[in-house]
Amino acid sequence: MITFRMNGLEVSAEEGWTILDAAKFYGLEIPTLCYYEGLTPYGGCRLCVVEIGEGTRAKLVSSCTYPVEEGLVVRTDTKRVIAARKMMIELMVSVAPGSKVLQDLASQFGVTQVRFEPRHEECILCGRCVRICAEQMDARAIGFQQRGYKTKISTPFDIRSETCRLCGACMYVCPACQLRCQGPQAETTLCNGCLTMDPTCLDYYDDLQCWMYDAGRCGTCVREKT
Amino acid sequence: MAEKKKLRIQDLAKIREKTKALTTIRESEGRAKVTVHMGTCGIAAGAREVMEALLDEVRKNKVQDVIVATSGCAGLCNREPMATVEFKGQPPVKYVDLTPQKIKKIFAEHVLCGRLVPEYALAVGSETVY
Amino acid sequence: MKQYRAHLLVCAGTGCVSCGSFKIKEALEKEIRKRKLQDEILVIATGCNGFCERGPILMVHPDGVFYQQLKVSDIPFLVEEHLVKGRPVKKLMYIPPAEKEPIPRMKDIEFFKHQRLIVLRNRGRIDPERIDEYIAFDGYEALAKALTEMTPEAIIAEITAAGLRGRGGAGFPTGKKWAAGRAAKGSPKYLICNGDEGDPGAFMDRSVLEADPHAILEGMIIGAKALGAEKGFIYIRNEYPLALHRMDIAIKQAREYGLLGDDILGTGFAFDVEVVRGAGAFVSGEETALIASVEGRIGMPRQRPPYPANKGLWGKPTVINNVETWATVPNIILRGAKWFSALGTKTSKGTKIFSLVGKINNTGLVEVPMGISLRDIVFGIGGGIPGGHEFKAVQIGGPSGGCIPAKLLDLPIDYESLTEAGAMMGSGGMIVMDDKTCMVDIAKYFLNFLRDESCGKCVSCREGTQRMWEIVKKITEGKGTEKDLDVLEEVARTCKDASLCGLGQTAANPVLTTLQYFRHEYEAHILDKRCPAGVCQALIRYVVVAEKCTGCQSCKNACPTQAIKGTLKDVHLIDQTKCIKCGACQEACRFEAIEAQREEAIQII
Repeated sequence: MITFRMNGLEVSAEEGWTILDAAKFYGLEIPTLCYYEGLTPYGGCRLCVVEIGEGTRAKLVSSCTYPVEEGLVVRTDTKRVIAARKMMIELMVSVAPGSKVLQDLASQFGVTQVRFEPRHEECILCGRCVRICAEQMDARAIGFQQRGYKTKISTPFDIRSETCRLCGACMYVCPACQLRCQGPQAETTLCNGCLTMDPTCLDYYDDLQCWMYDAGRCGTCVREKT
Repeated sequence: MAEKKKLRIQDLAKIREKTKALTTIRESEGRAKVTVHMGTCGIAAGAREVMEALLDEVRKNKVQDVIVATSGCAGLCNREPMATVEFKGQPPVKYVDLTPQKIKKIFAEHVLCGRLVPEYALAVGSETVY
Repeated sequence: MKQYRAHLLVCAGTGCVSCGSFKIKEALEKEIRKRKLQDEILVIATGCNGFCERGPILMVHPDGVFYQQLKVSDIPFLVEEHLVKGRPVKKLMYIPPAEKEPIPRMKDIEFFKHQRLIVLRNRGRIDPERIDEYIAFDGYEALAKALTEMTPEAIIAEITAAGLRGRGGAGFPTGKKWAAGRAAKGSPKYLICNGDEGDPGAFMDRSVLEADPHAILEGMIIGAKALGAEKGFIYIRNEYPLALHRMDIAIKQAREYGLLGDDILGTGFAFDVEVVRGAGAFVSGEETALIASVEGRIGMPRQRPPYPANKGLWGKPTVINNVETWATVPNIILRGAKWFSALGTKTSKGTKIFSLVGKINNTGLVEVPMGISLRDIVFGIGGGIPGGHEFKAVQIGGPSGGCIPAKLLDLPIDYESLTEAGAMMGSGGMIVMDDKTCMVDIAKYFLNFLRDESCGKCVSCREGTQRMWEIVKKITEGKGTEKDLDVLEEVARTCKDASLCGLGQTAANPVLTTLQYFRHEYEAHILDKRCPAGVCQALIRYVVVAEKCTGCQSCKNACPTQAIKGTLKDVHLIDQTKCIKCGACQEACRFEAIEAQREEAIQII
C-alpha cells in the first residue's frame, strides 16, 4: 500500500494505481475525456491534470497516467488546474463545437467564451477509437496519421481496411460522435444552454434537473427541443 | 590491405608510436625542426634536391618527432641552399652552401645526435619563431 | 606510416562541403601530383573547423596557417607559393573586419583564441574516417583505463564528481542518471545516443558526429561498462547524411579493431551499437518519443514516470544521453573529474558548444567554458554585428528557449542563470538578432516551427501552438487587437503548464520572453499598425515623396493593381487600399521618389 496526500487528506492506494484510480476510489471528481475504463491511459486531453509537488517544484501532470508514489502531494482543483482545464475545454470546443460532450463540459466548468476561430471539425484526437480498436477489438485497423495540427485518424494509406470488422466500437466510444449539441443557441460556437438559470428543463419539467456541477447531463435540451 | 587484428591494450600505445608523426606535424610538437629555405634563389641553387635528401633520411631512419618545414628566402642569397636546425629551447643554427650529402651529415650528426656540425654552419642564433 | 613533411587539412564539415571543399581537396591533390610532391605532402579531409562563416577552410601544418574562403582557382598559386617556395599566401588568409593585416595562424585569430576545445578537441585535426588518427591523439586511452582500472561504480563516481550535466538541453546530472540506470532492475540494459538535433540553427551534434565519431563510441562503451549494458543505439536524424556515413565507417573500423563486439581489448567486456535513422520529426528528440521511434512505434512522447532509466526501451532500463554528453565522457575519464570541474561555474561545470548564427560576423561553432558572458561570445568571439547594426537580442536554446535582450548581455552562460532569465541553455543554439529583426516575426517563426513539429497528442500543445501562431500571425498582419495579447498570454501559460512533454512545456518560451522584453514591439504592431524593425510586409507603406516626384508615370505603369493615381507632370498618389506592397513602383522610379515607409506611420502628401 502506498500512502500519499490528496487534497490535504492522507490516502492510501495499491501499487500500480494511477492518481485517477485513487481519486475515483475516494470519490473525488476529476473530469476526463480521453480516458476510458478498460483502455490504457493516453494522457492526451489534459483535462484530468492535477497539481503535484509543492512550492516552485509544483507542476501539472495528467492523473490518468501518473502512478501513485509514496509521499506524493496531490491537489486536484488548484487555480492552475482550473485555469488549465478551462483553457483545454475552450480549445477543444473551438475545434469541434458540434459535440455535445464538449459543450456539456463547457457548461460544467463555466467556460463562457470561446475566443478562437471555430474550425467545425469532427475529431478531437482523443485516441479512444484507436485504442479500443487495438486493445479490445485486437484489429488495429485505424491509427494516427501525420503530426501536430495535421494529425488525423484513419486507416493505413487511407485505403479500406482488411482487418476492420465493422464492429462499430470506434463510433461507440467517440465523444465527438455522440449526441450532437442542439441546444437553444446552436448557431454560436458555445451553447451554454443549461448554464443559465433559465434552462430548457424548467419548461418541460417545472423542475431544475441538475445541480450546478451536473449542468448539461440531463439532455432535456436535446430530447425535448421539438 | 592487411587483415586488421583485434587490439589489445598495449596495441593502442603501439599505434600511437606508429602515428607519432601526426602529433608532431599537426600540433607542432616535434623535438626539433629543420627548415629548408626555398624561395626562388634557393630553388635555383638546388634547395629541392636538399629537401628530397633530407626527407629521404627522415624516412630511412623512421624519425617521427622532427618537423620538416619550408620557408621563403632567408636573405643570404649567395649562400643558398640553406637550412636552419632548431631544437626546442635552444638557439637555431643556420647551415649554408648545402648539398644533398651535407644535409645527410647534418641530419645524422646534429638532428639525430645533437652534435652541431661547425664546418657547415654559418651562425648560431637568430630570431626564432619556434 | 608514410612520412610526409606537410599535412594539408581540408575542412569537410557539411558547411564547407556545401561551399565546395571536396572540389578544393581534389584540386589540391591534382596540383600536388602535378609537381610530384605527393610523397611529401599529405592531403586529408577533416570534420568541421567551426569557423563556418569563412569556408572553405584549409589548415597547413606544421606551419599552423589558416586559409579561408578558398576557390579552386586559388589552389595552384597556393601550392606554388606556400608549399614549394615556403611563402604563405597573405591574400588567402583571414583579415578581421575593419582591419588590414591578415592573421596567419589559427591560434591567433580572435574567433579561435578564446575557445576551450574539449569535446571538439579533434575538430579539423584528424581524418574522421581513419581510426588510427583518432588513436594517435590519445583515442581509446580512456576506454583502456575504464575497462582495466575502474569498476562501474568508480566510473559513475568520476562522472558525478565531474559535475557533468546532460548537454541535450535539460541539463540533468549525468552521474545521477547513470546511477539510476545501474540501480534499476531489469535486463538487458540499453544505451542510446540522441543525435536527433532538431533545433533550427543548431549544428553542434552534427559537427561532433562528422568530425569525431569515435569520441561518441568511446564514451558509449565506457557508459556501457558503468551501466552494465551490452547493446547501444545511435539515433541520428536522416537529414545528416554525412554524419551517418562517417558513423557507419567509424563503427566498422572499431569493430575491426575489436573495440566493439565481444571481448573488447581482451578484457572480456562485450558491447555493440546499431545506428537508427530518424524520420524527420523534431519531437523524436524527446527521449520517450525517441524510444518509441526506435521500437518502431509512432514518435509520440509519454508521461514520465516511469523514467527511461527505470523503464525505457522495450520496458528495460535505458540510459539516453546527447551526442555532446557522450563525447565529453572520455575526456573526463582520461583527465579526471577534478580537471573538468575546475572549468565552468559552481553549478555548470566544463565547457559547452554553441552554434553562433544569425546577424553575426563570425558565424560558426564555438566551445567555451561555462560562465563566459554573452557579451564575450557575441562581441569577442563572434566579432560583433555586421553592417554597423546594433545588437538587439539573442535567442538561446532554439524554439524551446527564449530571447535575451541587450540589457542582459553580461549574463554568465550557465543553466541556472539562463532559466532565471526565461530562456534555456537548450542544445546550445544561439541566434543573434539586430535592430532590423522584428521580435514578433521571430515569435511567429518559432511558433510556426513548433505547431508543425508538435506530435499532436496533447490538446494544450497541439491546439495551443496552433492558436498562438494564429494570433501572432494576425498581429504581424496588422489585424491584432489589445485583447489578443491577453489571450495570447493565457494560452501561452496554459501550454507551458499543462503539456505532456518538453516540446509543449517550452513552446511558449519564445512568446513569453518576447512579450516580457519586447512588449513595445507587439504594441506598435497592434496600436500603431507599424513594425519598428521594418520586417512585417503587411505593415509597410509605400508612399510618394512629393518633393522628388516628377510626375513621369513610371510607377503608375509598373503597378500591377492600378493603385497609383496621377496625371503627367503632377505628383502621384498611392492608394493604400489597393496597394499590395510588391515594391514594383519603387523599382520603376528613377528619381528615388518612392519610399517604403517602415518606421513612421505618417503618410506624406
